[in-house]
Amino acid sequence: MTAPDALLALSNVNTFYGQAQVHFDLSITVARGHIVCLLGGNASGKSTTMKIILGLVKPRSGEVTFDGASLIGLTTPQIVRRGIASVPEARRLFADMSVRENILMGAFVRNDREAIAQDLDRMLTLFPKLGQRLSQRAGSLSGGEQQMVAMARALMSRPRMIVMDEPTMGLSPLYVDRVLELIRTINQEGVSVFMVEQNASLALEIAHEAYVLQTGKIVLSGSAKALKDDPRVRDAYLGGSEAA
Amino acid sequence: MSSWLDYTINGLIVGNVYALVAVGLALIFGVSRLINFAQGSIYLVGAYIGWVAVVQLHTPLPLTIIVVAVAAALVGLIIERFGLRPLQNSVRIAPLLATIGISFVLDQLVMLTFSPNPRALPSQLPDVRFQVGGGTIGPLDLLIAGVGLTSALLLFVFLRYSKLGWAVRAASQDRDAAMQMGVDVNRVNQAVFGIAAALGGVSGLLVGMYYNQIDTAMSLQATLKGVVAEVVGGAGNVPGAVIGSLLLGLVESYGVAVFGTSYRNLFAFLLLVVVLVLRPNGLFASARQAPPEPLTGTFIAPSRPVRIPRWALLAATAVFAVLPFFPVSFYVLQTLINAWLLGMLALSLTLVAGTIGQVSLGHAALLAIGAYTSALLSLTLNVPVGLAIIGGGLMSAALGTALISPSFRLRGHYVSIATLAIGEIVSLVILNWESVTRGPIGISGIPPLSLFGYELISPNSIYGFSFVVMVVLALLQGRLLSSHLGRSFRAIRDDDIAARAYGLSLNRYKSLAFIFGGFAAGVSGGIAAHLYSYINHETFNTQQSILALTVVILGGLGNVVGAIVGAVALVGLPEVFRIAAEYRILIYGIVLLLLVRFRPQGLLGTI
Ligand SMILES: Nc1ncnc2c1ncn2[C@@H]1O[C@H](COP(=O)(O)OP(=O)(O)OP(=O)(O)O)[C@@H](O)[C@H]1O
Ligand SMILES: [Mg+2]
Repeated sequence: MTAPDALLALSNVNTFYGQAQVHFDLSITVARGHIVCLLGGNASGKSTTMKIILGLVKPRSGEVTFDGASLIGLTTPQIVRRGIASVPEARRLFADMSVRENILMGAFVRNDREAIAQDLDRMLTLFPKLGQRLSQRAGSLSGGEQQMVAMARALMSRPRMIVMDEPTMGLSPLYVDRVLELIRTINQEGVSVFMVEQNASLALEIAHEAYVLQTGKIVLSGSAKALKDDPRVRDAYLGGSEAA
Repeated sequence: MSSWLDYTINGLIVGNVYALVAVGLALIFGVSRLINFAQGSIYLVGAYIGWVAVVQLHTPLPLTIIVVAVAAALVGLIIERFGLRPLQNSVRIAPLLATIGISFVLDQLVMLTFSPNPRALPSQLPDVRFQVGGGTIGPLDLLIAGVGLTSALLLFVFLRYSKLGWAVRAASQDRDAAMQMGVDVNRVNQAVFGIAAALGGVSGLLVGMYYNQIDTAMSLQATLKGVVAEVVGGAGNVPGAVIGSLLLGLVESYGVAVFGTSYRNLFAFLLLVVVLVLRPNGLFASARQAPPEPLTGTFIAPSRPVRIPRWALLAATAVFAVLPFFPVSFYVLQTLINAWLLGMLALSLTLVAGTIGQVSLGHAALLAIGAYTSALLSLTLNVPVGLAIIGGGLMSAALGTALISPSFRLRGHYVSIATLAIGEIVSLVILNWESVTRGPIGISGIPPLSLFGYELISPNSIYGFSFVVMVVLALLQGRLLSSHLGRSFRAIRDDDIAARAYGLSLNRYKSLAFIFGGFAAGVSGGIAAHLYSYINHETFNTQQSILALTVVILGGLGNVVGAIVGAVALVGLPEVFRIAAEYRILIYGIVLLLLVRFRPQGLLGTI
C-alpha cells in the first residue's frame, strides 16, 4: 500500500544478479515534490535501486509504481516516457557528441521543436557556463561541467521526477555546493528527486526524507532532519574518517 | 593493367566496395558490439538478386540498384528480428555464433537455389575506358565511386540530422544511457541492420559487375575483408571503416602489383593481425576510448553438466572398440572414422574455446599444419608414418601456439577474428610457399597409415587406430581438466582480470592450452593426410573450423565427452537420415542456430 501522495513507490523488491541477492524486501517511497535520498556504502545496492526504477534491471519479486501505475514489465524507454529522467552514475554523457547534442538528446522523447529550443535556452540560464561549450565534444569537458550537462540533459525531457546516482561524486567542493544548489532549484520548480549518495552529510542538507541501505536492506529511514541527528547515522556516515 | 596509377585506381575502387561492407559492420558493431559474420552472406544475396534482376528481369541499372538495396535490407531486418533479437539477454558469444549460423544458412540457400557454379553478371554499362594521366578509368569505376560517395553522404545526413540517426549515434556511444533518454534500442538495431544490409547487398552487386562474375565463395571473402577494414579503422568507427577500406584496397592492389594475385588475401590478413596486435582499437581510435568488450567472461552458458556414470562411459567405449569385430558395413566404419577424426579436432577446440574461453574460428589451420608436416615428413624424409603423425601433432602445437600467441592479449570477439585471420594466413602461406608445400598443386601420393612397419589399409585397422588415438587424447584431456591446471584454465575463462590478480600468468596458461589443443588437432590432421593420400591448401577450410565449433557447442563447451558425442552426432545423424551432401552444411548452420537459441549449454552441458 502506498500513500496517496506517493509519486514513486518500491514495495518489497527482491533483486538478484544470478545467485546473489542484492535487495531484500526493499521498500522506498518518494512523495510528490520531495527530494528523497538513498544512503549507503559501497556495494550496498544503491545503483541497482536506480536500475530497478529505470527498468534496466528486473526485480525477481516486488512492485514498483509511478504515479499509481506499475512500472514492472515496461522497457526503459517506456518508463522514461512516463516522466522519469536520470542522471546516471559517472554521468555517462555521449562522449563523441557535442554538448548541444547531448542536451538535446535529453529531449529525445519530445517532438515539440519550438518548446525544445526554448528549454535549451532555459538550460543555458540555469547552467550559464555551458553557453560557451555548446559545440565542444562532451567527452572533453571537466567532471563538474559534465555533471552540469548531465543534469541539463535530464531536465530536457520535462520530467516529473529525476533519479540521480551520486551526483557529487568526484567533484571539487565548489562544484558539490553548486550541484546541491541546483538540485534544490530543480526541486523547487516542481520536479521530485530521488538521489543516491554516499556523502550523507551533504545529501541530508537538501533532502526531505532519506533511507539508509546496508547490504540490500533498509536499516533506517525517516525525515532528513531526524536522520541527521540520529546517532547511528552519525556514527556510520557522518563520523568523519571511517565512512562506510 | 600496367601503370601505378591503374593499381591506385583499382585499389581505391576495390576499397570503395569494401567500404560499403565495412561501414555496415561498423554501424552494427557500434550499436551492438557484435561482429556480424552474416554481412558477407547479405553481400552474396545482393549479388544474386542483382543477377536475377539484370539477367532475367532486364531491369535498368538504377532500378537494379534499388531492388538490390531494398531486398538486402529486408534480409537484414529479418536477421535482426528473428536471429538476433531473441538473444538479447543471452551470453555474449551467442549473437556472434548466431550470425555464423545465419551466414551458413544463407550461403547454402543461395547455393542450392543457384548452384555453386559461377555466373556472369553483366555491368549494363558501356565497355569503354577513358585515358586519365597514365592510367585508364571506366564507367563502372565511376559508378562504384559514385555509389560510395552517395552512400557516405546519405549516411552522414542520416546520422547528423535525423532523430533516428541521433539515436544510433547515442546508442553506439552508450547504450544504457541512450535507453535512459528514451531511445528504443530495438528500433536502432533495426535501423542499423537495414542500412548495413542495403549497403552490403549493393556492394555485392557492384563487385559482381566489376569482375563480371559471381559465385558462392564470395560470401566468406567479403565478410573477412569487411572485418579487416573495419577493425583496421577501429571497430565501430564509421569514418574509420571507410579509411580502413580504402587502405586495404590500396595495400592489396599494390601487393598484387608487386607479388602477384595469389598474395592478395595474404596482405589483407597480415594487415589485420598487425593492427590487432599493435593497435587493437584500430588505427584511428583515440586512446581514451573504453575497451569495446566487457571485461569478464560469461562466454559460456552456465549450466550443470550431465553426469555420465563411469560404467556407462566404459560400456560405450567397449561397444565402439569391438564394433569392427561384428559384421558392420564399410560405410558405417567409414562414417565413424570421420567422427573420430572430427572428435580429435573437437577435443582440441573444446579445450581452447570451452575451457579457457578463446573461441577460435581458425582451428582448421591446426589440422592443415599437422597434415602437411606429417605428409612431408613421411614423403620427403621417409619418416615412418606413426612418427610423422606425432611430428605433425608437435608441429601443430608449436607453430599453432606461436602463431596465435600475439593475440593472447585480445578478448572476446577479437580472439575469434584473429584466429579466423590466422587460419586464412596459414592456408595462404601453404598456397604460396611452393618450394615446400608444392603450392596449388597440393601433395599427392602420401603413404597410407602404418604402424611399426605394418600398413593399416583395412577399414577395421584404420578404425581401430583412429579410435584408440582419440580415446587416449580424451583421457589425457580429462586428466588435464581435473588437475590444478584445469582449474586455472577455467578461472582465466571466467574472469581473466581476477585470475591475473591471483597471479596467474595468462599467456602461459593460454599457451599451454593451445599446445595441448594444437597437438590433438595436428594428430587428427596428420591421420587425415595419410587417409586421403592427397591434400592441398583447401582441404582444411573455414567450413571445418565452424563445423568443429558447432560440434563442441552441441556437446557442451569444455565438455570432453560432449566433444566426442557431438562429433558422432553431427557426422552420424546426416548419414542415418541419408541427407544428401549438399544439404549438410545447411543442416549444420540450422543446428548451430537452434543450439544458440534454445540450448547454448549443449547436450551434455558446459563445464
Ligand atoms: N551487472 C551485475 N552483475 C552482477 N553483479 C552485479 C552487477 N551490478 C552490480 N552487481 C553487484 O551488486 C552489488 C550491488 O551493486 P550496486 O552497484 O548496486 O552497489 P552501489 O551501492 O551502487 O555501490 P557503489 O557505492 O560502489 O556505487 C555489488 O556487490 C555488485 O558487485
Ligand atoms: Mg553505485
